[in-house]
Amino acid sequence: MTLHCRESPVATDDQTSFDNDEAVDFAIVGSGSAGGIVAKELSTAGFKVVVLEQGPFRRAQDFSHDEIAVSRYRELLGGTQEAHGQTFRGDDSERAVRATWPVAEYAQTVGGSSVHFTANFWRLREIDFRERSVLGPVSGTNFTDWPISYEELEPYYSRVDWEIGVSGAPGPFDSFRSRPFPVPPMPVKSSGVLLETGAQKIGLHPQPAPLAILSKPLNGRAPCVNCGYCMGYGCEVGAKSSTLAAMIPLAQASGNCEIRADCAVFKVDTGADNRVHGVHYYDPAGRERLQKASAVILCANGAETTRLLLMSANNAYPDGLANSSGFVGRNLMFNGHSMAHGVFEHPLNEFKGVQVTRIVHDFYESDPARGFYGGGGIDARPLDAMGPISFAMSGHRPDTKDWGAEYKEMLAHDFTRRLTVLGSTTSLAMDSNNITLDPVSTDRWGRPAIRLTYRDHPDDLSMARFLQDRAMEILDAAGAEIAWRDPVHAQNGGAHLLGTCRMGDDPATSVVDKYHRSHDIPNLFICDGSSMVTSGRGQPTMTIMAMAFRAAEHIAAAAHKNAI
Amino acid sequence: MRAALPGVMALAGPACTARDNDASFSVLTDDDAIEFAAIADRILPTTDTPGAREAGVIHFIDQAFAGLMQDLYAQSVSDLATFQAGVGEAFPGKTRFSELNDAQQDRYLEAQDASSFFQLLHRMTIYGFFGMQSYGGNRDQVGWQLLGFEPRHAWQAPFGHYDDPALQGEPGGD
Repeated sequence: MTLHCRESPVATDDQTSFDNDEAVDFAIVGSGSAGGIVAKELSTAGFKVVVLEQGPFRRAQDFSHDEIAVSRYRELLGGTQEAHGQTFRGDDSERAVRATWPVAEYAQTVGGSSVHFTANFWRLREIDFRERSVLGPVSGTNFTDWPISYEELEPYYSRVDWEIGVSGAPGPFDSFRSRPFPVPPMPVKSSGVLLETGAQKIGLHPQPAPLAILSKPLNGRAPCVNCGYCMGYGCEVGAKSSTLAAMIPLAQASGNCEIRADCAVFKVDTGADNRVHGVHYYDPAGRERLQKASAVILCANGAETTRLLLMSANNAYPDGLANSSGFVGRNLMFNGHSMAHGVFEHPLNEFKGVQVTRIVHDFYESDPARGFYGGGGIDARPLDAMGPISFAMSGHRPDTKDWGAEYKEMLAHDFTRRLTVLGSTTSLAMDSNNITLDPVSTDRWGRPAIRLTYRDHPDDLSMARFLQDRAMEILDAAGAEIAWRDPVHAQNGGAHLLGTCRMGDDPATSVVDKYHRSHDIPNLFICDGSSMVTSGRGQPTMTIMAMAFRAAEHIAAAAHKNAI
Repeated sequence: MRAALPGVMALAGPACTARDNDASFSVLTDDDAIEFAAIADRILPTTDTPGAREAGVIHFIDQAFAGLMQDLYAQSVSDLATFQAGVGEAFPGKTRFSELNDAQQDRYLEAQDASSFFQLLHRMTIYGFFGMQSYGGNRDQVGWQLLGFEPRHAWQAPFGHYDDPALQGEPGGD
């Protein structure tokens, strides 16, 4: 292969460093989907930036296909339950239980969850931003419109397409785009062909999946080699469009950005002047340090950002920093999910290639005729059948014992022949779904553990079941020899951590304004999944990244006008 | 930071040497090893294809108890003693699980396959059978061969039957 483009820089140890006591322009907490972009945008615009990342600085060469280390021992997630201490409960009448699985699931590594995510990359549509106005209220929820429109965000979606790197092709229901996809869709897999066949047979309109994975070289980065280890793993060739691959190297090359890995922030530093002055953190040796900064930007994800604000409570903000509204931590949204599985006559070999190559968006919009609020998308993927251990642990048919000769025979037959049709849906924003500090449990730094309180709204579960019914029809139409469904029930954890510091025009019912600035504190900004007002239909990272480009532009403009 | 290539890792560890030579164990006593191996052999039995025994799962178990899962070792040895005591109650005259025939072993395991002890052995058997060889098991990649999985780092389309235009008789893919 000939690469007719410049070599892009790679993440490096050779970077600028700043003094703790000399205030930098911006301290950014988190280096993931939002933090990596904000850091790159502000540092290349000439601002002095320090990024605090609690995970280590892994590079492409540090990633592997080791299922035991990555999938079972959660290497990229910061380790097992003892390390994070997270707790979960369905509602506030229950005692939260320490989880054996990271119930708020996110990577702890430079690049954050953009390193380990599956890379499905759906834009929101016009309707997502004004759905409450169109559909009316949903009682018992905080369902509301966004303070921005698709039109306002679209230029930044296109920047994500081209600067982060998104492969795909326009679909029949997509909202308008100002630029085409920079690279074509990934090669279709058997799961994609079967989804396409089944969906078309029942009158649906499948389309190529947009993915943050390069099908061709872009911006000096090499394309995907179809190794099969996207979901939950770091990309060994840098073809997955993480901020580690696409943004961090540019931030470092600016000479204005220091990525400080293995540094866990535990408090935002505040003064009597209603401004923030830096962040307190544990350095890699566990010592408490303070990085001074003229402004602070929280990009730590919907769970960590919330915890940090709650841990930074002071006399002026006794319920958590920047929380005069009481909305910090509320309205947590995971997106709903449903699964149906099918086994086919011939090998699909789903362990090769990316997870998803075709999607169905016919049910994206809420339809009052269904009798409940909600919308979603359907995809087909290996899921558990991507790896031998994950398949052996959870991929077996529901009517078989999970040990013995019959089990072994089933594994041997099904591993190459199975796919999963996954439904991803809306979640409604509610007070009762939230993140708080656990009163007992702590994480490995001694910080109060993240406590999740969550129970899906009945409409969310109805929508998940609706998509599962369609999935079963698709599997049947596609010719599955056998098909079955996992029961849909209330979720007890999530990897999408949305809505907990929502943006809005009204300081009484939102945490940040439409430019991601805290309503309460003028030099504190928040941009990550917590900013989202509604959940979309799953796959929120594209929107988080677009918001980050937009936020950085406004923050830089305000800084240039000395208006922070 | 870790080595990235499984091929390199597979060559590295003493675990692999132990597996390949059927050498002695790091932490397991020979007696306990026979019992743990007997349980693993019923979870993934040898049939017309290799099972836990041929994959050297017991060497994974030994290496895991010596490192990755060392915090579970003492409890597991104690649980094994309880497990063995039950053998005598269920099958008078027998004292060890490994003395039972296949059908008796399956019957005994079925009665307790929800126990945490069995669940741990189940998990370890799967890790040792399907995990990377650097952990001590999956001898000659028999676990991966059973599934039709190949540990390559790059693939090209077509990947499977349904996305192969030559097998569909019509243009397909992109």
